[in-house]
Amino acid sequence: MDWWLKLVDQLVGLLKRLGGVALVGMMVITCVDVIFRYFGKPIFGAVEMVSFMATILLACAMPMTDREKGHVGVDLLVRRLPQRTQHLVDAVTGVMSMLLFAIVSWQMFLYARTMKDSGEVSMSLEFPNYILVYVVAVAFAVLSLVILTEVIQNLSKARRS
Amino acid sequence: MSQTMVGVIGIAVLVIVFFARMPVAYVMTLIGFVGFSFLISGEAGLKLLSRDFYDIYSSYGLTIIPLFIFMGQIAFNAGISRRLYDSAYKFVGAYRGGLATATVCACTAFGAVCGSSPATAATMATVGLPEMKRYGYGDELASGSVAAGGSLGMLMPPSVVMIVYGILTEQSIGKLFVAGIVPAVFMTGWFALAVWVYCLVNPKQGPAGEKFSWSTRLASLTETGETMAVFVLVMGGLFLGAFTPNEAGAVGSAAVLLVALVRRQLTWAGFVKSIYETLRTSCMVLLLVAGAVIFGHFLAVTRIPFSVAQWVGAMNMPGWVIISMIVFVYLIGGCFIDALALIMLTIPIFYPIITQLGYDPIWFGVIIVLVTQMGVITPPVGINVYVVNGIAQNIALEKIFIGIVPFLVALILGTMCIVIFPQIATWLPDLMY
Repeated sequence: MDWWLKLVDQLVGLLKRLGGVALVGMMVITCVDVIFRYFGKPIFGAVEMVSFMATILLACAMPMTDREKGHVGVDLLVRRLPQRTQHLVDAVTGVMSMLLFAIVSWQMFLYARTMKDSGEVSMSLEFPNYILVYVVAVAFAVLSLVILTEVIQNLSKARRS
Repeated sequence: MSQTMVGVIGIAVLVIVFFARMPVAYVMTLIGFVGFSFLISGEAGLKLLSRDFYDIYSSYGLTIIPLFIFMGQIAFNAGISRRLYDSAYKFVGAYRGGLATATVCACTAFGAVCGSSPATAATMATVGLPEMKRYGYGDELASGSVAAGGSLGMLMPPSVVMIVYGILTEQSIGKLFVAGIVPAVFMTGWFALAVWVYCLVNPKQGPAGEKFSWSTRLASLTETGETMAVFVLVMGGLFLGAFTPNEAGAVGSAAVLLVALVRRQLTWAGFVKSIYETLRTSCMVLLLVAGAVIFGHFLAVTRIPFSVAQWVGAMNMPGWVIISMIVFVYLIGGCFIDALALIMLTIPIFYPIITQLGYDPIWFGVIIVLVTQMGVITPPVGINVYVVNGIAQNIALEKIFIGIVPFLVALILGTMCIVIFPQIATWLPDLMY
């Protein structure tokens, strides 16, 4: 189990750093574009580059946000249940989320393949879009792994208590 | 089974699963996907998932959200708020409850560089609470003014709630931003009034502080110059058309970063923290948007939004009754669900009603922010209250909720004013556009 936790941790950490780089990149490219445009020389394809980075940022932030409990949920009812039941409820909703995102990831891989086969490229930079779809697909796969880990942890906690 | 029936069942299941503590964004995605697949076909449902997620994640329009969140996070981690607070204190500190009023004013000022309400509340809790403690303020007034004042951060542009509203309803984000300025100042006045009345009833809560001369007061303003400069640069550039809203976010982040670096106030650790905090908040917001879009596609197939709009239209009630009902729904709903999630969930249903009644969508955007403000401070799910409680753990949650009451009343009265006199919100954007 330990090696598994370490692996998931590293995947989450890797994506997190990638997302951070994308954020700073978005800011820098946009600012440089604004300044250069002022002197009449806008950066070619700046809008596209920023969109690509935003895609990477948003996809890569998903596993860490789930891991750090960054999402809003309604805690009113479950909080009042006994510890064991709480873990079980979390495990059940976790299985649902995990399956959902596994399906999204699978569909995203298929979507990427369709895009690759059709040879679709971005409008000005002619960058092959399917690469980004693969990034999103991988991020969703890691997200389901993170949730799977949480399910296992919740089940073992439920058994212990 | 009729499509509407499936929709009603879908909404019921949605609410039930909400209460199982599953993240709201995940639930909306799940129910939207299952419902859509059930009504159209499994294949269409699977396609919907990948297409909707990718469309949202790759849309240039949404890049504005991480950029503006980043700006607020840097401002937060660089401690820009302290100077704003000091200056506000020098102006109003001598009056009864003056520190609480200063907190509210500083919140509005900080809101000018930060688009998120919990971030504003967290900032002011770290800066304002110790000061108020030092001057012997009651815990209720001190924590209440921070939690409620923090909510002004999303009315004062930039505002994440307005960006999301603008994207969902295809309204101009620049126009929404302008529309927020006057109501933000107006609500600051209402909050100051709330502090004054509270101290009149209970003088022990907010004793008067020391008095400063006008020269000291004016001198303190220069210390806040860079915040004002950033605000003028970002908003001015936006309104004059020098850059787009997305560029305003990027330029604003860079400007705040520059100020923080020149002032030597941002450590490397603080910078990294700003980045990760931005990733987390952006992801939270964007997954909510994605969930709302997928759930909205399902709702559209059930035709529920149209039926509700038609039904309300056929009731022939005066507009203000319907607006009050909508505000009431948000006020109650905001007690149970996170305010931003609630808005994304209900915009597809309420927005057609508003446009059908002939209301200004920009004005409704301001109303939406005001009800979100109520949502973030009302128990039991008032995120601002938990943020303040998380920072000041020695103040009991109940005390903060008591301290909220006068501000909530002020918020409701202020909202009523803006419903009765829409010009408060529409005057400035109409003038500029």
